[in-house]
Amino acid sequence: MKHKLLIATTILSLILAGCAQNAADLDGKNNISDADHIQGDTVSIDENGFGDGSGSYNSSSDGFKSIYFDFADYSISSSMEANMNHNIGVANAASSQIKIEGNCDEFGTDEYNYALGLKRAKAVRDAIAAQGIDTSRMVMVSFGESNAICTDATDSCYERNRRVDIRLVK
Amino acid sequence: MRHLFVVVVSITLMSLNLFGVDATLKIEKDVEQRARIALVDGSSEQNSKVFDIFQSDLKISGHFLPDTTHHVGDISSNYILPALKAQEYILKYTMDQRSGSKLLVRLLKASDGTQIFKKSYAIPKKPKMPFLIHKAVSDVNNVLRYPSIAWINRYIAYAVYTTPGRSEIRLADYTFNYQKTIIKGGLNLFPKWADSRQRSLYYTSYKGTLPTLYKLNIYTGAKSKIASSEGMLVCSDVSKDGSKLLLTMAPEGHADIYEFDVASKAKKRVTKFQGIDVNGRYIDDESSIVFISNRLGYANVFKKSISGSAASQVVYHGRNNNACDAHGDKIVYSSRESNRAFGDNTFNLYLASTGSSDTRPITTTGSNQFPRFSSDGSVILFLKQRGNSSSIGYINLVSQQSLLFPFNDRKVQSIDW
Repeated sequence: MKHKLLIATTILSLILAGCAQNAADLDGKNNISDADHIQGDTVSIDENGFGDGSGSYNSSSDGFKSIYFDFADYSISSSMEANMNHNIGVANAASSQIKIEGNCDEFGTDEYNYALGLKRAKAVRDAIAAQGIDTSRMVMVSFGESNAICTDATDSCYERNRRVDIRLVK
Repeated sequence: MRHLFVVVVSITLMSLNLFGVDATLKIEKDVEQRARIALVDGSSEQNSKVFDIFQSDLKISGHFLPDTTHHVGDISSNYILPALKAQEYILKYTMDQRSGSKLLVRLLKASDGTQIFKKSYAIPKKPKMPFLIHKAVSDVNNVLRYPSIAWINRYIAYAVYTTPGRSEIRLADYTFNYQKTIIKGGLNLFPKWADSRQRSLYYTSYKGTLPTLYKLNIYTGAKSKIASSEGMLVCSDVSKDGSKLLLTMAPEGHADIYEFDVASKAKKRVTKFQGIDVNGRYIDDESSIVFISNRLGYANVFKKSISGSAASQVVYHGRNNNACDAHGDKIVYSSRESNRAFGDNTFNLYLASTGSSDTRPITTTGSNQFPRFSSDGSVILFLKQRGNSSSIGYINLVSQQSLLFPFNDRKVQSIDW
């Protein structure tokens, strides 16, 4: 019964709507004045200058090898020993500052994932520094989950994103 | 009979995928306390999006129980259809989008057609139409002397990843019907409103060797460098007067929280821990903060005073609570509910308080992250992912209602409201 009443009401409304339509006065003195904060047009700025979208930033370069980490972990595993030894050799011979980039998979939120990436970068920096390389020759930056190499929803893909990349500052 | 009607309406709305109600919320609870209101569209061309936004605004306010039928009628007439006499109020409107957006609203008493309120709104930019509706509903709410819902007029700033190593910072209205990219190119993250009027925002740029914090006036484009730090740099919170910031920085290789004086650029280290301290939020009139730390071996919510040294655990639930927001003594945090590297039902939101150890869940399904309080603390925004669909969700803590809006960007990095 209520349903029929609603349908009847709607039909009657439509009929009445077709009968009389006075144009609303939109230019009167009541025009919006207290919403100025949304009146002005906002800017659009272009901050081009990092990366080229081709994935060229997604691995180590300048002879360094990436170090990979377990889920939610920032200790260097024994399986990464060979890569670390290789990187220490390259770092010893490096002529410019070394950039150590921490990366994470996508399963963190907000700031915590960036802090986790930083801990990974620091673990690698400290391991290199322990071999006699001055920390002033190295700079760390965490990229959190922003620099994924692999975007498939698989464990093996996420493993590739939990990494530290190393390159020279240019 | 009324309860049956509410149930039918609820089911209908969910099937339209416009509104989704989380299982923990009891939508019928406050039905009797909310004012019944019907919308009557007097526009020369009816627009379902306009009607839907009106519905969303009225519903999420927690003060109205809107009739879900899209009635059509003459805006200038005070005649009330007999079928609408059961309502308390009739909100008549016209939306004209032939040149810019123009909205006229009239609020009538349903019983006798008496006009309570009339106002017109106009804005040159057509895409900003949702803000006119939000402003009108906010005004209607105020005229009827309900608690303010001014938060529906605010911009949401959010960052999304577009490709690996690149992101955009965008603005939206709370329904995300309006969206505009304001910063593109490169990697720019963690937008945070710099002032209560939302004229400027802070964000972290990765353009140089070190992460750098900038302040951008979104109307003039004026940009200034605030600070830079090795490792990471995030503006986590801004004091009410805008004079101080809580920054997560790592000048010594550890993520710690600093209080930064905007005028003098002096920074004071608030946390000192060899592990992870992030996500600082002011509480207790800005004399203390809550933050996320792994000092117990897993991510959890802690509290400390700005000047003191001891940190105390706030949440005694969950083993991976890695993001939070605070308003007054209320804390909302996201908790990872499983140890799987990936999968559904991973994160849920919980409401806690600095004054007690009580914790209650406010979501139970899907992955729920990025919780953010509204400016008055009455509503929580969050990002929900369930299966392949993403939504922006809102939970009104007072009326215990929720809304979900479809959202296409799965790769959200950060949100501020």
